[in-house]
Amino acid sequence: MGNQTERVATDTLDSSELLQEQVRAALRSGTGLQISGGGSKSFYGRRVSGVTLSTAAHRGIVGYDPSELVLTARCGTPLSEIEAALAERNQMLAFEPPHFGGAATLGGAIATGLSGPRRPYAGSARDFVLGAKIINGQAEVLAFGGQVMKNVAGYDVARLMTGALGTLGVLLEVSLKVLPRPAAELTLVQHRTPAEAIDVMNIWARRPLPLSGCCFDGDRLYVRLSGAEPAVRAAHDRIGGEILKDDRSFWLSVRDQQHAFFDGPLPLWRVAVPPATPPLDIPGKWLLDWGGSQRWLRSDADAPAIHRHASRAGGHVTLFRGGDRSGDVFHPLVPDLMELHRRIKAAMDPEQVFNPGRMYAGF
Amino acid sequence: MQTTLTEDLRHSADGREAESILRACVHCGFCTATCPTYGVFRDELDGPRGRIYLVKQVLEGAVATRRTQLHLDRCLSCRACETTCPSGVHYGRLLDIGRSLVERQVRRNIVDRFKRRLLRAVIPHRRRFGILLRTARSVRGILPAAWSSAIPPLRTAGSWPSSSHRRKMLALGGCVQPSISPNIDAATARVLDHLGISLLRVSGSGCCGAMSYHLGAHQEGLDFARRNIDAWWPHIEAGAEAVVLNASGCGVMVKEYGKLLAGDPVYAARAARISELSRDLSEVLAREDRSVLGRTGSGTARIAFHCPCTLQHGQKLGGVVEGILTDAGFELAPVADMHLCCGSAGTYSLLQPQISRQLLTQKLAALESGQPLAIGTANIGCLVHLQSRASVPVRHWIELLDACLPGHEQDGQFITR
Amino acid sequence: MVTRDLNPHMRRELIRTLRRSLPAAAILHDPEALRAYECDGLSAYRELPMLVVLPETVEQVRAVLAACSERGIPVVARGAGTGLSGGALPNADGVLLSLAKLNRILEIDEHNRIARVQPGVRNLAISEAVAPLGLYYAPDPSSQIACSIGGNVAENAGGIHCLKYGLTVHNIQALTFLTPDGRLLAVGGGAPDSPGYDLLALLTGSEGLLGIIVEIVVKLLPRPERAQVALAAFDDAEKAGAAVAAIIAAGIVPAGLEMMDNLAIRAAEEYVHAGYPVDAAAILLCELDGMNEEVSEQILQVRRILTQCGAASVRTAQDERERLLFWAGRKAAFPAVGRLAPDYYCMDGTIPRRNLARVLVRISEMSASAGLRVANVFHAGDGNLHPLILYDASRPGDLERAEQLGARILELCVEVGGTITGEHGVGVEKIDQMCLQFSAPALTQFHALKHAFDPQGLLNPGKAIPTLRRCAEYGAMHVHGGKLHFPEIERF
Repeated sequence: MGNQTERVATDTLDSSELLQEQVRAALRSGTGLQISGGGSKSFYGRRVSGVTLSTAAHRGIVGYDPSELVLTARCGTPLSEIEAALAERNQMLAFEPPHFGGAATLGGAIATGLSGPRRPYAGSARDFVLGAKIINGQAEVLAFGGQVMKNVAGYDVARLMTGALGTLGVLLEVSLKVLPRPAAELTLVQHRTPAEAIDVMNIWARRPLPLSGCCFDGDRLYVRLSGAEPAVRAAHDRIGGEILKDDRSFWLSVRDQQHAFFDGPLPLWRVAVPPATPPLDIPGKWLLDWGGSQRWLRSDADAPAIHRHASRAGGHVTLFRGGDRSGDVFHPLVPDLMELHRRIKAAMDPEQVFNPGRMYAGF
Repeated sequence: MQTTLTEDLRHSADGREAESILRACVHCGFCTATCPTYGVFRDELDGPRGRIYLVKQVLEGAVATRRTQLHLDRCLSCRACETTCPSGVHYGRLLDIGRSLVERQVRRNIVDRFKRRLLRAVIPHRRRFGILLRTARSVRGILPAAWSSAIPPLRTAGSWPSSSHRRKMLALGGCVQPSISPNIDAATARVLDHLGISLLRVSGSGCCGAMSYHLGAHQEGLDFARRNIDAWWPHIEAGAEAVVLNASGCGVMVKEYGKLLAGDPVYAARAARISELSRDLSEVLAREDRSVLGRTGSGTARIAFHCPCTLQHGQKLGGVVEGILTDAGFELAPVADMHLCCGSAGTYSLLQPQISRQLLTQKLAALESGQPLAIGTANIGCLVHLQSRASVPVRHWIELLDACLPGHEQDGQFITR
Repeated sequence: MVTRDLNPHMRRELIRTLRRSLPAAAILHDPEALRAYECDGLSAYRELPMLVVLPETVEQVRAVLAACSERGIPVVARGAGTGLSGGALPNADGVLLSLAKLNRILEIDEHNRIARVQPGVRNLAISEAVAPLGLYYAPDPSSQIACSIGGNVAENAGGIHCLKYGLTVHNIQALTFLTPDGRLLAVGGGAPDSPGYDLLALLTGSEGLLGIIVEIVVKLLPRPERAQVALAAFDDAEKAGAAVAAIIAAGIVPAGLEMMDNLAIRAAEEYVHAGYPVDAAAILLCELDGMNEEVSEQILQVRRILTQCGAASVRTAQDERERLLFWAGRKAAFPAVGRLAPDYYCMDGTIPRRNLARVLVRISEMSASAGLRVANVFHAGDGNLHPLILYDASRPGDLERAEQLGARILELCVEVGGTITGEHGVGVEKIDQMCLQFSAPALTQFHALKHAFDPQGLLNPGKAIPTLRRCAEYGAMHVHGGKLHFPEIERF
């Protein structure tokens, strides 16, 4: 595509052919590949065996045109580099991808599909994915989606790849929708009981307020407002609460799990539920994010009990960190759905070469 | 839409008109959204787009069967689709042409034929209908409840104003309205009288012809039109400024006289002039200085208004009556899905009773949800139909206005049944 | 595959089987009745189905699928039939499965801001139902008055508020669908995400090829406190394009940003009487929404930018009625163009916005040399261009020329880095242009995914994803830029 977007001076290297060659070799020898970028999210998912396929060297922003609100970068590009380039033009990745470490790459962010505190109000990682170039399980380089906001040609494989934990292919390049940074941002703090906090977060969400974060640590409710200056001011008047001084570092600590809640040896569970679900009766320590729909739990309760509670509330559970990484880390699927997953895996990666077993046993 | 007419139709006026209507349709399907029968059946064949298809097949030479006729029969001719259509398709006209073609191709069964013949033989004729209605009322007590509820109760007309003004307007003789609810014409005359206008009843004027025309009897319908033109013409020449229609179903028809009789060398010019001078009663009132009426309804009542399809879709006058009533101080209750037909639709309630009943139930639920004290409407057909099952009185809106005129003998009468 | 003519016995036998699960009136089979179902909103492509079925319950849909899959009979799903790419074009040997009767709103959960609906519910009906709660469903395709939510999901429908609020895929939370052999599967749920692969994304926009969607959970948003729209007239489309870039560069994300060219302006004005300036070369409609204070500030900012970019005039809607009127013109623009010519052919390419001026010039050149007028309606905010090619299907050769012109326009979109379809879907209409946009291995990958869902290939066959053979024939017919597409495929 001739006149793509303006290039940004950056440390770039195209090693897609090398990666493709490594996949071919793995196919020939029948060995599994463990895909790794910066290694910051290697704890996530089930334990994987296989030879490491490092994407770290395949890096660089390929195109970025601020007035198109689109950025395309190679998978090994550090997230920090992308965020710096965007900040220079007063833009951002609105899904606030967690880094979990300095080396976090774009590929890892998209493959895990994780999003930060802004997610319920701005959208998730997959919502911002416009296109992807991948290597499939037959070592073919394929392009899906594109660099434009709207594109419904073909199945949405780019979004299917998001959150697939690299089990369907290697992400080579991803195009993302980016957004302007809000002109003003402000965090308010209120003291609330857990039931009150859940109530109030959902009442606010039903009103046209410029919310961009709602997090409850068991005692204090943190509300972030973002937008045009007058809107933030007006919302502040309506919601009330104390202004939090160093709010940037607070939201970073929630995003990257640096907050004191995440310290300690107990397993970390992620309980995803409908946001207005009342407090769940599972023993442990809770931190509520995403306006009540993403609930972090530190608990040594047994997995089936946690699953049961979440299922009853219409949600699902992930053993996010710690615990037994060789069992079911993600919520079990019903048999028909599991069967469909296996078929999709077989369609993308018939030889099961990529991240074998990282999501569920068998894939 | 691509259309290839049969050879003989291509040379007829109806055929050419139908073709140009069909070509305007781009098949977008927006019309299905506001079609009452599509809402009931959710089948393409019971929505405007599908019926256009059925008519198109006939125009292209396919021989219609009872199936096509059934789906065309189910159309209410409410023309909500025309209001919705962004391409300006004159669906109602196409349907009339289609129905009359199909009528010639498909022989109806004997019961159906008899019913239609009977309707045409009674309803448009004021005297015959009057006799029938009086008879029905007299035996009401011995009829099953389902039948007796359909017989409109007797209501008196009140007096016709005696004063004679310089400004004169003409009334339509009408067919069923004078027997069922003579008060509508009288109330019209009284309100106009307040505004300094005399409403003239003209002998010889009768049914507008719409009923026969929409039942596929085009010539019969046009003959009614010619009789009205003959009756009104001397008065027009004498300076009457308008023909006032207080039944919106008749209004649509009279406004079409010009178009329908364009091919008649004897009547074309006069028909066109009559159509030009035809006004719905609401149009007349909207243009007059109504301050002499005062805020007559003020504090009197919360009412729900049902705008007849012939007024909002046929004459595109949605909102006009509502404006007059609000100005007069009435409080209008909100009504959901205002664009939908009540199911009366001329003879429809008699020919398609099941669908009609379903639409009536929907409509009454919408009208009564705002807890009005009365329901107002602007067409005798809708009035009788709504009244048959409504839990509050149903009146022509001019009666509501008239009943609240200061010092009027029927003050507030509409609130009692 | 079974064909109608070859095997009337099988057809009769299928009808008999279906009668066991469906009322007789829900099975249409005589040609007189089938004709009305021969096409969807794209009437240039027509085909009589073998049967039309109108089930009322999920159980009946399941019975239809089971009967068809047992017999190897194709099934094409249809919602309101307003699609513009022929996605619901019937299959001559198949069953057309209308989901119009599944039109109930099953549940509105105001606290979690979701609604559970059946596929036949109209898009607008959802927003109407939740309006008393101060909520709405954001995607608003121009056909929202009539189009069904099931069709929206199948096509990943957009609308005029996509830039800020996203497409269908961004606004649904769960789906229940039937596999071709009649198994009921649920993906997504009440939580913001679900375990496993993102099948919600994969199914959205899959054009009825992967499953029959029977229930949808949509997200509801709080209705903005205020919306205001500015209407700017330009004497040159290029200036309007520059104004769009300037608004975005200023850090504003408008709720809607739409452009219409002169021909489209005149058509829409004739229908709606919105007060559009009929002599302008282009108009821009820029809607801002949010909190009252925010809108007040941004509308001033936008006015300034529009004026700086050379707008001949800028008006803001005086009241809510006028705001809706401004939009009514835009929403009715497609069919209103039906007033200018008997037929129109609507394209749906998306381009990087910076190429807009270049693309418009090329389109007008191509339009002149084809001898067909083109009206342009443009979702300027997200680069989605809708050229409407005016033609007269009754004139021999017109349709073919319109199709050729359309194909050239789509090729142009791909050439400048865009896509052949932004929101209408590929359907049957743009299936050849898929060969330009995707490589043979990518298409093969699509077929493999299709096989994972529908091993017999019964759901909407022949749509959305072309076979490699078809691409080879298309490439042979049309060698692009001196390069032969799909050189590896054997030609006839």
